[in-house]
Amino acid sequence: MSLLTITRVGPLTTLQDAGRFGMLRHGISASGPMDRGGFAEAAAELRLMGTTAIEFTRAGLGFRAEQGLAIGVGGGGFRLLVNGTTLSWPTRVELEPGDLVEIRPAGAGNYGYVRFERELEVAPVLGSRSTNVTVGLGGFRGRALRAGDKIALAGEGGAAVGVTRPAPGDGPIRVIWGLHADMFHPAVRRRFAEEAFEISTNLDRMGVKLIDRDGVFREQKRLNLVSDAIVAGDIQILGDGTPAVLMRDHQTTGGYPRIATVVTADFDRFAQMRPGSEVRFRPVTLEHAR
Amino acid sequence: MTQSATLIPMGDAALLLRFSEVVSDDANRAAVALASRLAAAPPEGVEEVAPGLVSVLLRLREGTDRRRLSGELMLLMGTTEPPPAATHRLAVSYDGEDIAEVAGRLGLAPDEFVALHTARLLRVLATGFAPGFVYCGFHEAELTLPRREHVRPLVEAGTVLFAAGQTAIAATPIRSGWHIIGRTTFQNFDALAVPPTRLNAGDLIGFEEAR
Repeated sequence: MSLLTITRVGPLTTLQDAGRFGMLRHGISASGPMDRGGFAEAAAELRLMGTTAIEFTRAGLGFRAEQGLAIGVGGGGFRLLVNGTTLSWPTRVELEPGDLVEIRPAGAGNYGYVRFERELEVAPVLGSRSTNVTVGLGGFRGRALRAGDKIALAGEGGAAVGVTRPAPGDGPIRVIWGLHADMFHPAVRRRFAEEAFEISTNLDRMGVKLIDRDGVFREQKRLNLVSDAIVAGDIQILGDGTPAVLMRDHQTTGGYPRIATVVTADFDRFAQMRPGSEVRFRPVTLEHAR
Repeated sequence: MTQSATLIPMGDAALLLRFSEVVSDDANRAAVALASRLAAAPPEGVEEVAPGLVSVLLRLREGTDRRRLSGELMLLMGTTEPPPAATHRLAVSYDGEDIAEVAGRLGLAPDEFVALHTARLLRVLATGFAPGFVYCGFHEAELTLPRREHVRPLVEAGTVLFAAGQTAIAATPIRSGWHIIGRTTFQNFDALAVPPTRLNAGDLIGFEEAR
């Protein structure tokens, strides 16, 4: 048995495990880590691995270990201090009772992860401890964490799986043409693949709105579409021409036209792009999506 | 009639089998039947099956041989039987804020609208958008109205919504651009239940006026 107390928290800090899979037919998306590679990285140095992480956002996170506790941190580029001493990132730390962990914003990333050798004492909901804040489902009482929250840790986790995290790369984000790609004018499709977009400040676990600086979708007409299935990574064009990339807590269906879908291998890198970053998209075939 | 679907990649981890680009009863029945068949016996590589209004989404295991899967799926098309359908009777208080407007635009008195809305069984077309949110249809052409101009802020779970020849039921608080015709105490979503929703695509729904 172990316990930690949250001392400082940014917005939308949630508990996430690998995801709540198999619930699409009930209208529930899988949630899970915004950066799966970062989630795995945080566990890589642990001997044992609980299923569930604290996913924190750009402002970082502070907590106090009330009992001894082994943690792994990773994802993005943050600065880790334990009792005021700076440690490396990512890393593993054996915390003593009373140790204060302070994670501060640093060079890169929107999301970071703290993982544990024990299992967090929150009841799985529909087979998962992931939080879906939109629905108020799972995680810590169905909500984002707040300062003062106390999280208990109980049983030992399973054997940690070593992961080698592929280099994230820095080229365009690869996409596969989407469900409604053929409804866009060829010139719009061409410009979508040529022009740069900017990550806006309007981003959360549901989606990331993009700034269309060059007006690629300025003339986009409203389309009357059947509401159809959505997958994480879908790039939809809203009624006012704003492109938005749908993320882990997406609606399960929607009626806006979708021009393309971010490939799995580039999703984490996209999720970590900060507001103000320039993003380009490169359409690839399924064979080149790895 | 036999319906065939177009196979459309949804990124590199999912595949959509789409029977139509517009909502139709035939396409919906085909999607529901195929989804039921696939869920009962998923082909190799299919991790999840989710029926939609006119399509079926398949979530695929990484590395699945799509050519082999496409062949298997093509063989299944048109061989599927509709799944067994349960019938649900749902009591509705027809006191939604838009009911007078809806009836008026259809050239009906509110009680005439209620009489028509309760007159025949609808089918659950799909669950989607939000947990337990169901689309039911189809109403006759005389009971068809477009959506509202503007989306409303949150409507409560149990709100009965009406637009586009369909009636939908919110199971969680959602934003909606549909007309609000009433409320039901029926709750389709319970996160602590297994399964978490009670209505399945293909089930029959009869609305009754709550007393």
